[in-house]
Amino acid sequence: MKPADLQKMSLLAKLAFCAWALAGLIAQANAWGFSYGDQTGSNQACLSCHGKTGEVPKGTFIDPQRFTQTAHANLGCEACHATVPANHPDGNKVPKADCRECHSGISAEYDKGLHASKTACNGCHNPHLVQNPKDVSGQEINMICSNCHNSLEMTAKHGEWLPQSELHLRMLPCITCHTGAKDYYISMYIVKSKGDSRFGKQEVAEYADLKAMAGNRPIVSLIDTNRDNYVSLEELRVFNRTQKSLRLYGMMTPSTVSHKFEILDSRRNCSFCHTSGSGLMQTSFIAVPDEQGNFQRVPVEKGAVLDALYAAPDFYMMGSTKNAKLNNIGLAIICCGLIMPVGHGFVRFLTRKNRKHKEHQS
Amino acid sequence: MSEKTRIYLQPWPIRIWHWINASGIIILILSGAQIRFPETLSIFSSYKNAIEVHNTAGIIVSISFSFWFFYYKMVKNTLDKLYIPDEEDIKHGLVRQLLYYCFWYFLGRPSPYHATPDHKFNPMQKSAYLAVMFVLMPLVGLTGILLLNVTPLRVLVLMWGGIKFIVALHFLLACSLLAFLCTHVYLATLGDYIKPMLVGWEDVEEHEEPEAAPGVAIPGYRPVRHYPEYEQALLEQRHS
Repeated sequence: MKPADLQKMSLLAKLAFCAWALAGLIAQANAWGFSYGDQTGSNQACLSCHGKTGEVPKGTFIDPQRFTQTAHANLGCEACHATVPANHPDGNKVPKADCRECHSGISAEYDKGLHASKTACNGCHNPHLVQNPKDVSGQEINMICSNCHNSLEMTAKHGEWLPQSELHLRMLPCITCHTGAKDYYISMYIVKSKGDSRFGKQEVAEYADLKAMAGNRPIVSLIDTNRDNYVSLEELRVFNRTQKSLRLYGMMTPSTVSHKFEILDSRRNCSFCHTSGSGLMQTSFIAVPDEQGNFQRVPVEKGAVLDALYAAPDFYMMGSTKNAKLNNIGLAIICCGLIMPVGHGFVRFLTRKNRKHKEHQS
Repeated sequence: MSEKTRIYLQPWPIRIWHWINASGIIILILSGAQIRFPETLSIFSSYKNAIEVHNTAGIIVSISFSFWFFYYKMVKNTLDKLYIPDEEDIKHGLVRQLLYYCFWYFLGRPSPYHATPDHKFNPMQKSAYLAVMFVLMPLVGLTGILLLNVTPLRVLVLMWGGIKFIVALHFLLACSLLAFLCTHVYLATLGDYIKPMLVGWEDVEEHEEPEAAPGVAIPGYRPVRHYPEYEQALLEQRHS
């Protein structure tokens, strides 16, 4: 063997050793049940059947596009379904992990709430579609709740004490009032009028519709015209002026969501939301749907949502999202009304003798 | 020589309407202020109370406004005559009244206008009330009704430019009404305007004067008594 061959061999041996070590590490990680590496490859084996509607029984279908966007996809199927029986495709069930194994804190919190005796985690969350609440539109969140809570019944029940309950229930995610969040932001999403009529029924705009409107460009460019992944007030104005069938709906969304679902007395006091002040209402995002059925969150200029007319003409929270400029215009109008009484009254006081004299004369 | 006569200036339906309106508008201003500035004002204790008071007062004022319109337009049929300035009012009346408020009043000269049941308002009152009763009040009422029924009247809300535009309009109109209210209350103290609005009758000092020959009065201008040019015209007619 020539020395050069030896050198070549040793390089190959080095590569082989590295590959072996890497495989070992991955195997070790799987043994622990965690892997933050890319599991797309290993998930493919499962998705090759479960990603096709015709291949697997109803209920075990997993939308590959949406699943790959979730945090669970990164862990890999085997993190939750540890041992797949050799005869699995013959109808043998695959074991499922208990959510508590990873989410023990959330689980403990959830057990203290109203929902604990009603349903488990999967009653609300499909583990193959879990998303961060910040990355979905407020309406998507409420759709989960409305699986169990009939919206008409809820409107009537809230209407017993809540003024304009239909409006409140439409414009607020349930979790805003029923979880103990401390901070909020405004989550906006695009709605589309039915039949492209400006006054038609408005529904959350779907990706396909928006894609058709955006043409070759990405959907976000319908609002973020300069595509810097940031929506300025000016861009919002242009969007509201030019898009006839599209509008923006806003929702007050908690920034951190607890899992203790409860009825909070503080939320029955209107001032909780309506005096929370403009400070909390200054941060806002627009949730733009993407191809995978998720939402891309685009930050909006701070304070834009407070703009009187253009930012989101359909989003207004009395007492909270009032516009400071309008307040000043209103004050100026009232001051104009005081010019006459104050000015005239002053001269009237100075000339009081003059009038008395004349009256006496007559 | 002068004697006191009494004119029935404000019929009872109008007096009732006026005071319902006045108290309603004051309640609306106070509750509206709390609704917009809840962090600084707490007039009606809770926020919910303020909203309920505002809604109720708004409905009462809207009904009383419709009643006012119906009474003057249908019952008395004097709405146009009372509230729409005529040619003479625009050409001379407005300036004359303005001069009176700005100068003549301070010099102790009497008002160039005297109210009669059919012509209750001077040209400036007419113009101001025209704007208030035909523009401000209907608009503030309509925007209020829209805000009270955002969900059922969704299409109308969209047609008006969205809820934020309606709120802005409602707020600015309310501020304009408050500005008018300040002037309105102040001007009421300039003459005997408050008493007729309470009891209906106004005491007027009648100066004995030769009856004006027909055709002498400047067309459209009724309150002739203190109008110097009119006296001049009378004299000229007598001499001719």
